Amino acid sequence: MASRSPQSLIIRTYQVGFGDCFLLSFKYASGDRHVLIDFGSTGLPKNGSVGLMRKVAKAIENDCGKKLHAVVATHRHKDHISGFATSKKKNGTGDLIASLKPDIVIQPWTENPKLKRDATGPGKTKAPAGGKRLYVSSLSELQEFTEFALDNLNAFSGMIESSLLNELTFVGDDNLKNRSAIDNLITMGKNGKGRYVYFGSKSGLEKILPGVKVSVLGPPTLQQSKEIKSQRAKDPNEFWQLRQLQEFGPGSGHRRRLFKSARIAKNPIYARWFREQAARVHAESLLSMVRILDDAMNNTSVILLFEVAGKAFLFPGDAQIENWSYALKKKAICNRLKKVKVYKVGHHGSLNATPKASLWPLIAGARKTANPQLVTLLSTLAGKHGNKSRGTEVPRQLLLKELEEKSQLTATNTFKAGELRRPVTISLRSRKRK
Amino acid sequence: MPGPALRTPRHKPCPRTRKMTVIAQDPSVEGLNGGVLTVSLDVPLERLAPGPRGSRVHVIDYDVSNNVLYRPTSKGLDKDHYVNMTDRDRLISDRNFHSLNVYAIVMTTLARFENALGRRAPFSFPGGGLYPGAAPGRGHVIKVAPHAFVEANAFYSRRDEGLFFGYFTSGKKTIFTCLSYDVIAHETTHSLLDGLRSRYMDRSSPDQAAFHEGFADVIAILSVFQNSKVIDASFPKGRKGKIAPGLLSSEKLRRSFLVGVADEMGQELKKVRGNPLRNSALLKPSPRYLEEDEFKEEHRRGEIFVAAMLNAFLEVWRHRLWDIGLEERISIDRDRVVKEGAEAASHLLTMAIRAIDYAPPVDLQFGDFLTALLTADHELYPDDSRYKYRAALEKAFVSFGIKSIVKSGMWNPPKTSLRCNHFDSLKREPDEAFAFLWENQKRLELHPDAYTYVPSVRPCSRVDTDGFILHETIVEYVQILDLKAGELSRLRKVRKPNKMPNTEHVRLYGGGVLVFDEFGSLKYHVNSKVDSEKQTKRLKYLWNRGDFNQPQALRRFATLHRMRMLGGAADTKEKW
Repeated sequence: MASRSPQSLIIRTYQVGFGDCFLLSFKYASGDRHVLIDFGSTGLPKNGSVGLMRKVAKAIENDCGKKLHAVVATHRHKDHISGFATSKKKNGTGDLIASLKPDIVIQPWTENPKLKRDATGPGKTKAPAGGKRLYVSSLSELQEFTEFALDNLNAFSGMIESSLLNELTFVGDDNLKNRSAIDNLITMGKNGKGRYVYFGSKSGLEKILPGVKVSVLGPPTLQQSKEIKSQRAKDPNEFWQLRQLQEFGPGSGHRRRLFKSARIAKNPIYARWFREQAARVHAESLLSMVRILDDAMNNTSVILLFEVAGKAFLFPGDAQIENWSYALKKKAICNRLKKVKVYKVGHHGSLNATPKASLWPLIAGARKTANPQLVTLLSTLAGKHGNKSRGTEVPRQLLLKELEEKSQLTATNTFKAGELRRPVTISLRSRKRK
Repeated sequence: MPGPALRTPRHKPCPRTRKMTVIAQDPSVEGLNGGVLTVSLDVPLERLAPGPRGSRVHVIDYDVSNNVLYRPTSKGLDKDHYVNMTDRDRLISDRNFHSLNVYAIVMTTLARFENALGRRAPFSFPGGGLYPGAAPGRGHVIKVAPHAFVEANAFYSRRDEGLFFGYFTSGKKTIFTCLSYDVIAHETTHSLLDGLRSRYMDRSSPDQAAFHEGFADVIAILSVFQNSKVIDASFPKGRKGKIAPGLLSSEKLRRSFLVGVADEMGQELKKVRGNPLRNSALLKPSPRYLEEDEFKEEHRRGEIFVAAMLNAFLEVWRHRLWDIGLEERISIDRDRVVKEGAEAASHLLTMAIRAIDYAPPVDLQFGDFLTALLTADHELYPDDSRYKYRAALEKAFVSFGIKSIVKSGMWNPPKTSLRCNHFDSLKREPDEAFAFLWENQKRLELHPDAYTYVPSVRPCSRVDTDGFILHETIVEYVQILDLKAGELSRLRKVRKPNKMPNTEHVRLYGGGVLVFDEFGSLKYHVNSKVDSEKQTKRLKYLWNRGDFNQPQALRRFATLHRMRMLGGAADTKEKW
């Protein structure tokens, strides 16, 4: 059915600063089909940031001819979904996207609003033995933890380095609930349009993209992979430690002193240095825990593999190795990944979202440095996330070097001022046998 | 406030300790009357200021989460107000008691180290604190925050010169980590081990990464076991004060005693660091663990070390009971069983601490520590035939695949006899020790181009149970060699890891310990050479893990303990 297959694909990478936004436009003889993958940002570039998200929304509207066939929100981080937020006056970027009337909205199974709070997978409604608290509710509560962690930051200002404070604010901000965007995604997915996917499930794009095989490689359900659990407590029931903070910690709305009748010292000389050290220790603890939440949320990312005309296009959101592991254990999938022609670099080029030993060699391994055919797309903004001295900077320089050497890299942090998008066109015409 | 020592009349013997009541395990463990199991500790006597604040420990009760600094505790510094107090609610709600409890246990653990080592045990952090850089030398006082923050974590931080104990809620209860004996002893051990061997916090090998945590667990667990009240409480009550031999088989002791104590202790605090005692007690001996991927992770690997020590403990305990009834399978006095168990724990605890002086200062392997353990004990107790401590340890370690790295089991004396001609000076002066290294560079097989320094010179006097005193001087030295990877081939025995670029900067650490007898003759030279083949393994391990040249985590134990609770960190091979 060659005639039903797309003839070419245009992938547009939009400038959203630290965030993701891609539009895949499949060119069919019968007309174009557009799939929007993510639309969010947590940090805009210095130049041209005024109204940038609105400009991007308008550009999407223009590029898709006022009709989106599918929206994919890989996971609920702000840098992937903030653009879907609506406003009361109905003129938010999310309102504009909703007006493009997507036929389906794809999200990870963990976002299904009908899912029981104790579900371990998309079809499960019962709690596992022991009545344990489960993944979905834990993720939700963790976001509440982040809210009070950020709320509490003021207590530390002046006592800790601004770089630590900024990092905590940045990572924390990304993990806030983004209520408006989530509600809009739920609304757009109503009337049977919502697809909540997991490894091996149908993507819902089968009818929308004829001739294109779309596979969901992640996230696995908890039954499928215990490795997502390893991101959390060994006891699968809880991120309890964080919940305790939420229930008992400062900023939780019921700040209370442990020993009410105990007498308080003001600020004696002997304790000053140690108080500052302790504040720093605690800020680092909070940062560490918010990072754990960040990783857990990244690992709910939808991983989509589009295959057509012997070429594969990989969009993994921010998935890290714990999400990837289940798919990468399957040989057949590894072989298909060797055909990837376009790779959307995971998590804005962070150190752990392009699994170095198990994924990257499949994608780039066989290719020589000269005349690379692999195209990589990186949406990022330097200086926002991580710390170079700790080897956690985003984008990670080692990865960036590898991408530059082994692929044709499109990176939004190299866009010129005012450059809103950069398209990559790929021919999908099958070669005729001689 | 003047301490009691200053007011003691001259004609009375001067007391050297003060009694302080502490919680024997944690508040969930019941004593005979249904209250909290408490114990009276003999804490080294010193002038105490409110805090409590002494010459080595300063309790600063600052709660970061609520930004509250409590007034320092002044009650109970002169007199133990908590004798016979076992009311759980009162102890838990008494902030003064918390401060005194944590002070007493930190001080007792410190004293235990000093007693075993026969000298002062230093901290590793530099002096300064409030005046960073202004005070040369090492810091003398560790700060302790008993209610540091709302977090199910407790840790030692070198950078912050402190021990931090968190608190959290479990149901309606508030759990205080500063009330758990083993948590306090564990964190204090981290600080003391860091003072004795600061390079053990370096990234080096799976064994070294696991050792800090495993050693702290061992010291904490044996510290709890050396208290006879804890052992007594773990046996079934009644039976006319006798314990049937059936309850004293290895398996019964493991199941009913070790696991029983572990379950009691772990009820509330397993959320802080899992339950290492339980995990280790149930780990069946196998020489294969060390090679398995699961046990490459440092917490799991540490459990192997703990398991070997616990198995040795059970073995020795049974040895001690053998002659008094176990052999004839008759019931044994309960008090005797308890006493022998506590003494076995106490002796093993002393052995473990003493072994540190005989262990290389860098790149420690479990086999090194076993060798150090056997050698250090042999020096003080040449005859091991009665309770067979060394035999039990060797057997237990071998059953987990850990062998002494010397055939004889103990370090060999130097090939040529070496003597220090300025021994009096060497006992005090690192410069003199350095001169000794310089003069004997070839004989000690030191690398001539490596940067060499002497972090410590420590004369010590160890006393055995018969009162025999062993005088030794321990000199620690470290060598550092900076090279490009392409230059490694010059070292003959060191190989560059696959795919490491020739331009990669490589830093090699070596070092050793010189043990001198009381006359200035070198008894042992325990070393890990800066150019030995061990370096190949170390480089390969770090390179393959992706940890190579990664900066040292500043608050390593905070992260380590959090990951122990939350599960292992992601595979570093997958990171960029």
